[in-house]
Amino acid sequence: MGASFSHLGLSNDVVSSVVSLPSSNTGKKSSSKSKNLQRWTSSGLSTPRDSEHYTDLDDDWDSNVENCLTSVNSQPKFIENKPTFEYPLIRKISSGVKSSTDDGALALYAPHILQEEESHKELEEMNAKLSRYHRFKHLVEESTVDMDKLKKMAWNGIPSELRPISWQLLVGYLPTNSNRREAQLHRKRQEYLGLIEQEFTKEKDAQTWHQIEIDIPRTNPRIKLYGFKSTQRSLERILYLWAVRHPASGYVQGINDLATPFYQTFLSAYIKDETDVTQFDPSTLPKDSIDAIEADTFWCLTKLLEGIQDNYIHAQPGIIRQVNELKDLVRRIDTELSNHLDDENVEFIQFSFRWMNCLLMREISMESTIRMWDTYLSEPNGFSEFHVYVCAAYLVKWSDELKKMDFQAIMMFLQDPPTKNWTEKDVELLLSEAFIWQSLYKNATAHLRG
Amino acid sequence: MADMEDYAYDYDYLLKIVLIGDSGVGKSNLLSRFTRNGFNLDSKSTIGVEFATKTLEVDGKKLKAQIWDTAGQERYRAITSAYYRGAMGALIVYDITKPETYENVSKWLKELKDHADDNLVVELVGNKSDLEHLRGVPTEEAKHFAAENQLLFTETSALNADNVDLSFEQVAKAIYNMVKKNQLDLSDYSGAKPPTGQTISLTPTPGAESNKHKSNCC
Ligand SMILES: Nc1nc2c(ncn2[C@@H]2O[C@H](COP(=O)(O)OP(=O)(O)O)[C@@H](O)[C@H]2O)c(=O)[nH]1
Ligand SMILES: [Mg+2]
Repeated sequence: MGASFSHLGLSNDVVSSVVSLPSSNTGKKSSSKSKNLQRWTSSGLSTPRDSEHYTDLDDDWDSNVENCLTSVNSQPKFIENKPTFEYPLIRKISSGVKSSTDDGALALYAPHILQEEESHKELEEMNAKLSRYHRFKHLVEESTVDMDKLKKMAWNGIPSELRPISWQLLVGYLPTNSNRREAQLHRKRQEYLGLIEQEFTKEKDAQTWHQIEIDIPRTNPRIKLYGFKSTQRSLERILYLWAVRHPASGYVQGINDLATPFYQTFLSAYIKDETDVTQFDPSTLPKDSIDAIEADTFWCLTKLLEGIQDNYIHAQPGIIRQVNELKDLVRRIDTELSNHLDDENVEFIQFSFRWMNCLLMREISMESTIRMWDTYLSEPNGFSEFHVYVCAAYLVKWSDELKKMDFQAIMMFLQDPPTKNWTEKDVELLLSEAFIWQSLYKNATAHLRG
Repeated sequence: MADMEDYAYDYDYLLKIVLIGDSGVGKSNLLSRFTRNGFNLDSKSTIGVEFATKTLEVDGKKLKAQIWDTAGQERYRAITSAYYRGAMGALIVYDITKPETYENVSKWLKELKDHADDNLVVELVGNKSDLEHLRGVPTEEAKHFAAENQLLFTETSALNADNVDLSFEQVAKAIYNMVKKNQLDLSDYSGAKPPTGQTISLTPTPGAESNKHKSNCC
């Protein structure tokens, strides 16, 4: 197991901190679970704060809350406590980079730029990006992460190296207090393994298992990562466990899609920067790491679905509500389009059901989805409310085209939209448009429906 | 965009057909084989309902089949059953290698009975006939069941295209013949706007129906 790391080209210190390999590179397996957790650890004390939707895990976690809520609350805030542990993800970055300038991370973003004569403007852009990266890094390295600040910054996109920890913070899985992370992660990962053990040693719910089995090979089939057995077995366990623990909805097709941005993002923390995570075979990782990725994915998926569970219960009322909201919104934003759809007898549910059920993941690329989730996770109700504004912005984007089409052409167009080559810029434009619609109409739509 | 020639309204009749059956039996691949001559070993699961069309010729008339492919999972029943309304034909698909999917055919028949129009043409389709070595549902048994319930019947393979066109054409013809014979009542039609004027259509004239189906489906 450990030996297989040599081909990843990770140096010892990187491997031991990032991938929690045994301290020697000989391939002997360390049983130390805590090493696995170490990557999240730094010191500091917590300022408990409430976020509006995704609250800190310790504040609202429903399962075995044997936690320190009260004791934490009573702790004095901001005891001076300098971080002593360098965050390993960041070490991974700087250690992978030859520092030809003061700032190694610049090379990380665009090594070629350093070698070429670049225009002033491009350099400026790089510098802006770099300084943003450093500010971000600083933010998540704080002993107590300022969640408001993090949300503000993350809304505009998270540097990919900092995405795993940022997402786990934003979703409320990782405590804002770095002191508590190690224990928390250890506990949740152990709990996950226990639950898996428990569910997979007894007889499986045949129907649930059957549906998951059918859907696993149909999950992101165009991305190599999802063709690997190791990936498929992990997703299978995650989905099945979630399903049996949430009998009101159980497994619903599309939830498989929702697990993958987490999985892929958390996996990326365990592999070398130059390696494209979408091509990576996770079976080359030690079991400890796979278990950790799985557990983190499971809990974060659980958090996400908590906010949209009525999308997946009987008759899917959450989706119906969102479809109606979308319809109301589009009527206000683009009356002509709304009228045209009416004239053509196109019903919103016919094309936007899937948008709600899979959070537009069937419409845009995985890369775009991941960028979109930076923002969704930073919004108070990103997946249940802001998403509707994003859908409105998305529909209105095609307004000119759609208005020239009849029923059938509209359906075909929206089923297979020309978004394959969308870049981060396109997604960001969509998100900022959605933001505007939200600020204009947020309270108006509720009133409309009365 | 996908098919501009269809966009030109060059058809005489518009037939609405639904594709139902358990998850994973090959509905989406039957549809892509029929409409685009494509097959995907790795297609994504269908969420809710998807849509495709193809124009056929019967008796020198152009029949445009407007086909709604549905998600098979139970949870989606509330959404998908809304699409049965106004359908003139239905294909109930099962997987010949999976007897459970065949056993569920009666459930699907009941779904149609509860939600679709009475004079609907129904065909039983046993898909994946290329997997003969894994067969779990004897042809004769399914054929017998189909006859008993007045269903059309075919075995198909979306993979190697066997009988795929035939199975859709069979349904389209049956609908067409029925229409010719007793002028199917189409007042419950819901779906695309009919072509403007020049062609004979089964569908109501624009405007007459356009406000009938405004309510959300569930
Ligand atoms: N061997 C074989 N496999 C098929 C056939 N039709 C579909 N499949 C496979 O069965 C799986 C499910 O197909 P799909 O069309 O998504 O089923 P649906 O859920 O009913 O729409 C896919 O892996 C297909 O490649 C067929 O005729 N023969
Ligand atoms: Mg399908």
